[in-house]
Amino acid sequence: MAKAFVIDVAKCSGCYNCQLACKDEHAENDWTPYAKPQPLTGQFWCRVTDHVQGTIPKVRIHYIPRFCNHCRNAACMEAAKDGAVYRREDGLVIIDPEKAAGQKQIADACPYGAVYWNEALNLPQKCTGCAHLLDHGRKLPRCVEACPTDALMFGEEEELADYIEGAAVLLPETGSAPRVYYRNIPGQFIAGTVYDPVEKEVVIGARCLLNSGGKRWETRTDEYGDFWFNDLPVGLFDLSIQMPGYEVKLFERLRTRECVNLGDIPLSRK
Amino acid sequence: MAEKFTPDQQCIVSTSLTGPESGAPCVVDTNDGRITRIRPYYYDTEYTDANCNPWKIEARGKVFKAPDHAMLTPFGLGYKSRVYSPNRVMYPLKRVDWDPNGERNPQNRGKSKYVRISWDEAAQIVADELKRIKATYGPEAVLCQADMHGEGKNVAPAHGCPNRLLSLMGGYTLQMRNPDSWEGWHWGAKYVWGCEPVGQMAPQANLYPDIAKHSDSLLFWGCDPETTPYGFGMCMPGRLCYWLSEIGLKSIYICPDLNYGAAVHGDKWIPILPNTDAALQLAIAYIWITEGTYDKEYIATHAYGFDKFEDYVLGREDGIPKTPEWASEKCGVKEWTIKALARDWAKKTVSIIHGNGGGLIRGPYSSEPARLEVMLLGMRGLGKPGVHQAKMLEWNLWNRDYPVPYQGQWVPKITQIADPLRPVDGDVDPKVNMDRYVLNDAQKKRAPELIKLFTQFPAPKQFIPRPLIHRAILEGHADWYGLQVFSSSQQPDQNNFRQPTQQYQFQHMKYPRDGLSRVHMIWTDAPCQITCWNDGNLTARAYQDPSIECIVAQHPWLENDCYYADIIFPVITKHEMNDIGNDMSSGGFTSIYLEEQCVPPVGESLSDFDVCAKVAEKLGPEYYDAYTDNMDEKTRVRFFYKATGCEEYMTWEEFRKKRIYVVPCKTQEELDKIPAGLYPFYSDPENHPLTTPTGKLEYYSTLLGEHTPDDPERPPVPHWVEKSESHDERLSSERAKKYPLLCVSNHGRWRMHSQCDDIVWNREVGTMKIRGKDGYQYEPVWLHTSEAEKRGICHGDIVKVFNERGIVLCGAYVTERLMPGVCYVDHGSRLDPIIPGWLDRGGAINTITPTSTTSKKATGMAVAGFLAQVEKVTDEEMAQWKRDYPEAFARHIDPDAGVCLDGWMIDNKEAI
Repeated sequence: MAKAFVIDVAKCSGCYNCQLACKDEHAENDWTPYAKPQPLTGQFWCRVTDHVQGTIPKVRIHYIPRFCNHCRNAACMEAAKDGAVYRREDGLVIIDPEKAAGQKQIADACPYGAVYWNEALNLPQKCTGCAHLLDHGRKLPRCVEACPTDALMFGEEEELADYIEGAAVLLPETGSAPRVYYRNIPGQFIAGTVYDPVEKEVVIGARCLLNSGGKRWETRTDEYGDFWFNDLPVGLFDLSIQMPGYEVKLFERLRTRECVNLGDIPLSRK
Repeated sequence: MAEKFTPDQQCIVSTSLTGPESGAPCVVDTNDGRITRIRPYYYDTEYTDANCNPWKIEARGKVFKAPDHAMLTPFGLGYKSRVYSPNRVMYPLKRVDWDPNGERNPQNRGKSKYVRISWDEAAQIVADELKRIKATYGPEAVLCQADMHGEGKNVAPAHGCPNRLLSLMGGYTLQMRNPDSWEGWHWGAKYVWGCEPVGQMAPQANLYPDIAKHSDSLLFWGCDPETTPYGFGMCMPGRLCYWLSEIGLKSIYICPDLNYGAAVHGDKWIPILPNTDAALQLAIAYIWITEGTYDKEYIATHAYGFDKFEDYVLGREDGIPKTPEWASEKCGVKEWTIKALARDWAKKTVSIIHGNGGGLIRGPYSSEPARLEVMLLGMRGLGKPGVHQAKMLEWNLWNRDYPVPYQGQWVPKITQIADPLRPVDGDVDPKVNMDRYVLNDAQKKRAPELIKLFTQFPAPKQFIPRPLIHRAILEGHADWYGLQVFSSSQQPDQNNFRQPTQQYQFQHMKYPRDGLSRVHMIWTDAPCQITCWNDGNLTARAYQDPSIECIVAQHPWLENDCYYADIIFPVITKHEMNDIGNDMSSGGFTSIYLEEQCVPPVGESLSDFDVCAKVAEKLGPEYYDAYTDNMDEKTRVRFFYKATGCEEYMTWEEFRKKRIYVVPCKTQEELDKIPAGLYPFYSDPENHPLTTPTGKLEYYSTLLGEHTPDDPERPPVPHWVEKSESHDERLSSERAKKYPLLCVSNHGRWRMHSQCDDIVWNREVGTMKIRGKDGYQYEPVWLHTSEAEKRGICHGDIVKVFNERGIVLCGAYVTERLMPGVCYVDHGSRLDPIIPGWLDRGGAINTITPTSTTSKKATGMAVAGFLAQVEKVTDEEMAQWKRDYPEAFARHIDPDAGVCLDGWMIDNKEAI
């Protein structure tokens, strides 16, 4: 049995409660032997990052709460000497604040930047999964408890299996095998608004066809003349917009390294 | 070792910041007399569903239900940082160069520092000043600046204690609050639909179950459900928004910025230039009228004066048809998008959602977009299932029944001992009076012990509306319209009916009244006028005026107007006192809870109630006895509980043990009987009229027609006002050549007005503060990428936001979340005056907001949608300021918390 976190990015409202609750719990509170105090500011055992995609007015935002991934193959454990980083029976990975003194390589080893070097205490530090609370009667780490939208879940990995299925982990290529899972991290989008420049009306129901290396997507413009292709991979795309009575509009080699807002697209009458 | 993992003590304390109500219950753990953590309260700690009868909304096969724990906000979670803020006032302070027996140096307010004095000396000075001022000029020479928002405390409230003491002394001049988040509704919408007391749609009963069942889309018009509700202790609106999206409702956001709600809930964002919503609204009406797509039958039976409105919209009145083309130029929304919005709306069942604040309702002439919105709703059959104006906060606001069905089977009322919202003696019909702060008959019966304490002292004889304080001080006189400039808090009767109050907005008032003195002394318990109200820089200059001989502030934190005070009293936070709390507004359950003292008072601070008791003591025993009734804090808690009526359900002993009484929710059968919103008016307007003079939706206001028919700023039919005597804040203005951006200012995401600006953990969030290259944490000003490029500004640069009223330093936040032509700064950032009344480093954007009221005859404030320019601050310019104002720049700034007590203290640690 091992503990796991599941984060549903689609349900994260970006309130930062998880980041703030972590500070409330760990900043200047000494939970030795689980952890020494987190500095008042500047370090983030739980850190929310915001991601703004697109350009005005096709802009979307998602937030990703990040913390120690409590990896099955934890680089920090490998880097540690004297067993300064250990895995508990419940799977949580803990830095022993006594043994880890002076071991900066523990912080450097983490591929996620989730281990901080506390200069004043001469210690590497990170999320403990609030093990000190779990061992004293509480069921949830502070970050999960503070989430107002149930975007964060915590529990036995097996019991969360339904949520974990199809979920992603961060930096899978490192082989670290995290126990923190993310659902619904959005991909890239291509969007725009189609209008008739003579009538000064949006064009509703225009057929939008997207093609990338033989793979096809199709949608139609909505009541606002808008079309959105969501959750696209990074790549090169060709788009054609078709509407009876209008010239076909083509966009070639659209790059989705950044999300693409094609803005207001005029369609010419035939 | 194990002990530290178990709290020494667990108390229930809320962290509401609204004032009269306490919000969601939190559990505060303490160890060794210090707060360890703040967590949500779980209702199943003491209760089961059988006790609470949790509410639910069922629609389209899905269920939205009561949460099992209170939802904490970022403010509640971070409050430990606020209790132990380096910004706390630790002991009584006196401005170093203010000598009550010699030179008072009013010109140095905002510049000179403070020395620590004893409680005895501070209370004596203030008592002596009060007596001297009263003897010299009469009691009205003391202005009491008490207000509403602040920590939700009841037995020793954050606001209104000085009013009580000053009443005992024979009176004072009341600073009358204006509805700072509702301006347009209060000064405009009431003339269309009544809807007392606020002017937003009332009642809000049962709206969200109805919306969930019947609406297709929601227009979030200048509304941010992920921001403003936080200050009211709510994260429930965000949960509700997710659910409404889940069941298929489309959310359309109309606002200049992709606000925090739009960012995560919006299906469509329509950016609009700040305070140009009236143009968009008129164009929508134009489409509906010319295409015949509005509900003509409803208008025929429910509306008055629609023909005159039609004349204006179609251009018969002024020769200008309010076409989408006309509107597009003014509001920055593309013509085709305006048409698409109008047509989509006409096809669907749509409600409009509001969250207070924002660009729509707090700008110049906000009465106009407010009225137009109601008229658009009317054209869609307002009150029919799914067609409402619903609020995303204040779900309990003076409503008998709430929009989300969490209200209890009965609503316990906690009284408050303070008196900040009183109408002036003889002005207002007692029937519409503010009875919020009196002990009602039922409470008197339950807790006769409180009767003496709640003796109503005489009401003050004159008032100044809050948006006019600066002018009144500097000019020595003021005049305005309105016997009442704040919404009456009259409680609704059984039919959700309230007395109309619109007519109180017409009396021409003046200050000072005949035979009464102008103001020569100020006592404030709400020291945020400069950072939260209109033209803060003018306020700063008013505070430096020699006519003001003494300024007293009482506050837990040294911030904002405190810097202009001569004497400052230290006040405790909620966590340092005993109280009884009431959760009426967090959206979970209604509850009453015992708030025990968690930690000892920080420094020498006292409760607001006890601060005034200290002064009363110096005035003489008769004042002390009358003010306190010799009843201590814990005794007041006991009797306040008695007065709530909860004792009929739970004994005091049991309450002390459980510390919370959760009021069971209404049953589904009871809930189903409550009509949604204005449904009774929709279905039978003759028997369920509105409180307008005609009982109908007035597209031509009979009251405005009768009283102010020629008012160009608020005519009987709402208009687009380009410029006027009061304001010249449009992009078409000559001023726009120098100040080409429209500044929008919302209620803060990371603050509640000026509260919580010092939570160090919030200040680490990128949208809360931006650390400049000089290490100072600047308030962000959002700029669109293109506007930043034009100005050579990069993200994080130190910039100045300025107009003729002053300069505010900010950190550039370059983003696609804001439309071009606009700059955006949340209001309420704490002041850090470099040149008091001109240059602020703290980011208090309200220092440069318009001076004039909403309009000549609407005595609200206009603090969003005004012209400004943004430029990069060059190294040379900054160096020059540092040379010119070395003392201001030398004040200590806490690296994490910003401005702080140390920065304003003369180093006199041995002085006492």
